[in-house]
Amino acid sequence: MSDEPVIQIRNLTKTYRDFWGRKKVQALNSLSLEVNKGEVFGLLGPNGSGKTTTMKLLLGLLFPTEGEISILGKPASDVSKNEKIGYLPEESYLYRFLNAEETLDFYGRLFDISAEERKQRTNELIEMVGLQHARRRQLKEYSKGMTRRIGLAQALINNPDLVLLDEPTSGLDPEGSQDMKRLIENLRDQGKTVVMCSHLLADVQDVCDRIAILYGGELKELGRVEDLLKEQHETQFVTSHLDDAAVDDIKAVLDKHGATLKTCGHPTSSLEDLFMKTVQRSKDRPGQRYIPAAESETADSGS
Amino acid sequence: MSLQPVDFELLFGIAQWAIVFGSFVLLFLIVAMATSLPLYGAAGPGRVLAGMLRGFKEFASPSPRRVYAIASLTFKESIRKKALLVFVVFAVLFMFASWFMASPSDRPDMQVRNYVAFVFIAINMLVLPVVLLLSCWGLPEDIRIRSLHTVVTKPVRRNEVVLGRMLGFASVGTMILLIMSTVGFIWIQRQVSDNVELFCRVPVYAVAGPEGVKFLDRSGNPGTGVNVGDVIETRSFIEGGTRAAGIWTFPLDEQADTLKLESRFEAFRTFKGDMNRSIRVRYVLVNEEKSLKVPLPTFEVDEFGTNEMDVARKQTWTDEQTLEKKEVDIYDDLAVPSEDGRFGSLIVQVQCLDRAQYLGVSRGDFFIRLPDRSFTIGYIKAVIGVWLKVLIIVMSGVTASCFVKWPVATFLSFIVIIIGQVARGFLDKVLSGKQAGGGAAESVYRLLTHMNDTTALPANPLTTSIQLFDHALQHLLWMVKFIIPDLRSFGMSDWIARGFDVPWGGVMLPSIAITVGYFLPCVLLGYFSLSMRELEAK
Repeated sequence: MSDEPVIQIRNLTKTYRDFWGRKKVQALNSLSLEVNKGEVFGLLGPNGSGKTTTMKLLLGLLFPTEGEISILGKPASDVSKNEKIGYLPEESYLYRFLNAEETLDFYGRLFDISAEERKQRTNELIEMVGLQHARRRQLKEYSKGMTRRIGLAQALINNPDLVLLDEPTSGLDPEGSQDMKRLIENLRDQGKTVVMCSHLLADVQDVCDRIAILYGGELKELGRVEDLLKEQHETQFVTSHLDDAAVDDIKAVLDKHGATLKTCGHPTSSLEDLFMKTVQRSKDRPGQRYIPAAESETADSGS
Repeated sequence: MSLQPVDFELLFGIAQWAIVFGSFVLLFLIVAMATSLPLYGAAGPGRVLAGMLRGFKEFASPSPRRVYAIASLTFKESIRKKALLVFVVFAVLFMFASWFMASPSDRPDMQVRNYVAFVFIAINMLVLPVVLLLSCWGLPEDIRIRSLHTVVTKPVRRNEVVLGRMLGFASVGTMILLIMSTVGFIWIQRQVSDNVELFCRVPVYAVAGPEGVKFLDRSGNPGTGVNVGDVIETRSFIEGGTRAAGIWTFPLDEQADTLKLESRFEAFRTFKGDMNRSIRVRYVLVNEEKSLKVPLPTFEVDEFGTNEMDVARKQTWTDEQTLEKKEVDIYDDLAVPSEDGRFGSLIVQVQCLDRAQYLGVSRGDFFIRLPDRSFTIGYIKAVIGVWLKVLIIVMSGVTASCFVKWPVATFLSFIVIIIGQVARGFLDKVLSGKQAGGGAAESVYRLLTHMNDTTALPANPLTTSIQLFDHALQHLLWMVKFIIPDLRSFGMSDWIARGFDVPWGGVMLPSIAITVGYFLPCVLLGYFSLSMRELEAK
């Protein structure tokens, strides 16, 4: 990661107006931020906070009411900036009558990519997003998760320097979400800049270097994830299993230092971890299934 | 009624196009600058100019690769969305059409006319609506389902989207048209009786403009034709048994030993006369400068058919004063030097010989007939006429769909086509002031007051205001006239249905020029509409 800014936003304001020019919604209000080269930047906020509006202003799909945007050193209205940008929209608005191969070939033809290179990248990307089995099926037959995957593949067809992902894990199962997060990390490792917006906080926390939190169209927080999440007035230990006596000893030490033990017990893993472990186990040992306790006892007594 | 070639001069057309196009660009610039003042203050006009210059620069350099990619996508989209189902209707029509069409006992020319008319009506009715719907629906649907977002977030300029869409829809229309017209051609060949010969007559019409056809009144002085109250919009009438005549000036581009003259005049009788014969007509070849007047044999007008006469190159002329007979050559003696034809111009007077009977004539009624051409060539030209119409529809549809939703775009394009094809004559008449009953407000006034449209309006403040209002409205109509394409010359199938080749200068050239002339403004309008539009606007 470097300090070279890839995106510079200054006093960005967006007001939606009706046909008569009357103010309808103020979607963004004086937003200023920078995204540096090589970082994964998250735009967070509840629905209607202005995340997607910011993304669309960056892409030139909307025009700012006030303020300036510089993206890869060019104004947002300059289409030549898109040569080095990949965009995954909130929903995968792709051409449903095309199949996966045709989709990637079509988007590849919009860049200066030779036929041979297009073919090679198409194969690589289809493999990367795990759609080899459905490469000749029209997108209208795809599930939502499959559509997101091919959407991601089209965003990467030009090997972009900057990737804009709008709700990248929306519609994906936990396994797909994991893949997506892994992919974002891979992009970061390749030195690419990723800007993603999401309201799934866990996803953002897992992959983002820096985040901005928007609310009501205004910037409320901006900084590194660890810095923002760090609770300076609390300390946490995680140890291997301790018996009750050891716990009592620790409590005594804490009393001696004037500290209060707030929680003590076995930590729980996340539901996502449990899900991933279960799926992995199923892949390793196909055919094994969960048998409820009552059923298991009946089976035992029968034998 | 005879077919009428359009008077068209390419250079004048180009000049007019440049004036209208330049005026609209200037008007747009003025409006944009004025609008920018309250928004951006004194910097507004500068921003508008800079934006427009940037736009023109971007507009001028589209990438053929991206245009082709979008065109291919459009083509694929149309095919996969079942646009080709139109062939089912086409097939059904052609399977059963012969049951209801002309029988072999019909006149040969009527057989050809019916079959050709049927084929082209079917093609027009099937291809044009399909192309209209496709071109008006494609882009708005693309914006609605936001597929366009994934395209414009690539390095694709808006003019490439417009061009790609136009090219794609035009390709679909062309493919459908090619298949249908090929089937139609084979069908015509199979349907016409063995004794019917398919060919295209090649007419040389009188030169364009007022010099082409002139009239002499009953005293032999220059004048106009008589209005007998019958189809005067097209035809003027020559009074019989007087010195009245119609004068055609034909350009002579080729030399031949025999000149074939063909006409199709209307006879208008003021009394029954001799019903056993038709009205008698005579052609006179004239060279005023050399005082030569060579009358050709008198003939009776075939009122429902054509009059053909072969005129030998060498004619015998009798000097009225000396009664001496001399041989004159059409090209060497009778032709008048002019720039219209390579061998000068031939002036032919048409006289009606029966007193108190009238001969209805128009420019297209009388022509020199050159050697016939192949029906296939004429058929291809007629197909090109439909194809040009397809292109106009695609251009107007895609352009309209850049700034309005598809139902409105369809309606707009439909109106453009209808006015361009059907109401254009009416528009010209209203603008020229020849429409009886005045303008819109005056017509309403006449309707409400039960006033005849030929009665003069009473002079009072109300009627003065009405006329002023109509006058202002007329300026608006004048603008409409220059925006909406004149599609009357595009119906080239009428020519081959009546056994004519499609004239180049009077029919094909204006149609091609109109189509080409609309291309740049349409793409430019589409480009700026899409560029200034927020695709994500709520």
